[in-house]
Amino acid sequence: MLHLRAASINDTHAIAGAIAQLVRAGDIVVLAGEMGAGKTAFAQGFGTAFDIDEPITSPTFTLVHSYDLPRPARGIRTMHHADVYRLERTAELADLALGELAEFGGVVLVEWGDVVEGTFGDHLTVMLDQDPDDEADELALDRARFIEVAGTGASWAGRWDRLKTSLERFAC
Amino acid sequence: MLILGIETATERVSVSVGGHEGVIGLFEVTKGRRHAETLVPAIDFVCKRAGIELSEISVVAVDVGPGLFTGMRVGLSAAKAIAQALSVPMIGISSLDLLAFPCRHTDRVVVPVIDARKGEVFYAMYRQVPGGIQQVAEPAVGPVEDLVADLMARSQDVLVVGDGAVRYREEILEGFHCEMGGDAHPSAGQLVQLAHARALREEWVQPREIEPVYLRAPDAKINWATRAART
Repeated sequence: MLHLRAASINDTHAIAGAIAQLVRAGDIVVLAGEMGAGKTAFAQGFGTAFDIDEPITSPTFTLVHSYDLPRPARGIRTMHHADVYRLERTAELADLALGELAEFGGVVLVEWGDVVEGTFGDHLTVMLDQDPDDEADELALDRARFIEVAGTGASWAGRWDRLKTSLERFAC
Repeated sequence: MLILGIETATERVSVSVGGHEGVIGLFEVTKGRRHAETLVPAIDFVCKRAGIELSEISVVAVDVGPGLFTGMRVGLSAAKAIAQALSVPMIGISSLDLLAFPCRHTDRVVVPVIDARKGEVFYAMYRQVPGGIQQVAEPAVGPVEDLVADLMARSQDVLVVGDGAVRYREEILEGFHCEMGGDAHPSAGQLVQLAHARALREEWVQPREIEPVYLRAPDAKINWATRAART
């Protein structure tokens, strides 16, 4: 697991961008953390790395937002941004078929996905947490955060060294 | 009686119109998996080319799965919307029936196998009967090894068809000697033919009664207790 600290929103975006450089078509990235921890901010940095210029907003009420990449990269054509916060049952999760979305030229970010992590197979987990020592307002976007990154499965084990190197400057 | 058939349970998008004269229009694309973008223009194309107004359709038939969730929700919602708007009944047919139906002239046991992802397959078994086919083993979902074990247990002459058979060809043949062939994907052409036979017997339902067949893990409550912060 990597332990990182983002001193600002720009750092959060940069960490997301570095991870985006290493994802492949078919990947699922679970975003964990409380309200205001920076899950959507992470998704925004991730989308920017793929040159998505549409505004990336929280999909809490729409469940999944899909963004076509202006320039497909490494087989990735679409970034799907899901939020399972409102789901109550596993059948609703199955209905979303996030794995199918990933499989077909997609990368899927899943906010609150840690609760159903067992259903995802190989995936990357990004846990975000506010830095309690930052005096900025609790819901302020531009605040310091702790970010932990963990990989599950062989596909991430193979990329781990590169991921570690690219995030070295944020290590804490 | 004209039937509109909508098939999106696998990577293929297939639309057909037909009736007592058989299939009179068929559009299929089996690459790209853009169900949502392809389906409605395809319906428009088939109807226009066949010189049919949507208002002439008297039954909407749809493949209810099992298969791709992302495909089925596009096909089922479009089919239901059209049926409701036209105030016509619907006929839902299983993707496994549709794969087995074209093989009705063989005396082997026909085993349609659909790729269920993550190393699993949907499958069922059928036998020729006068005038068609009959299911002899209930649809199941499981790892490819379960399918092979089922085939071995029956140890009959078998014809295996479907995209699951294509994907897991080696694994299946290693475990059980059988014939592979037939169609990799269900077709709306078969759907219209099967639905026509049922429509003649008025075996149709209202749109609200059509449900997808997922054949997946039983539903359970998501354990949000592990995330007390949500409440």
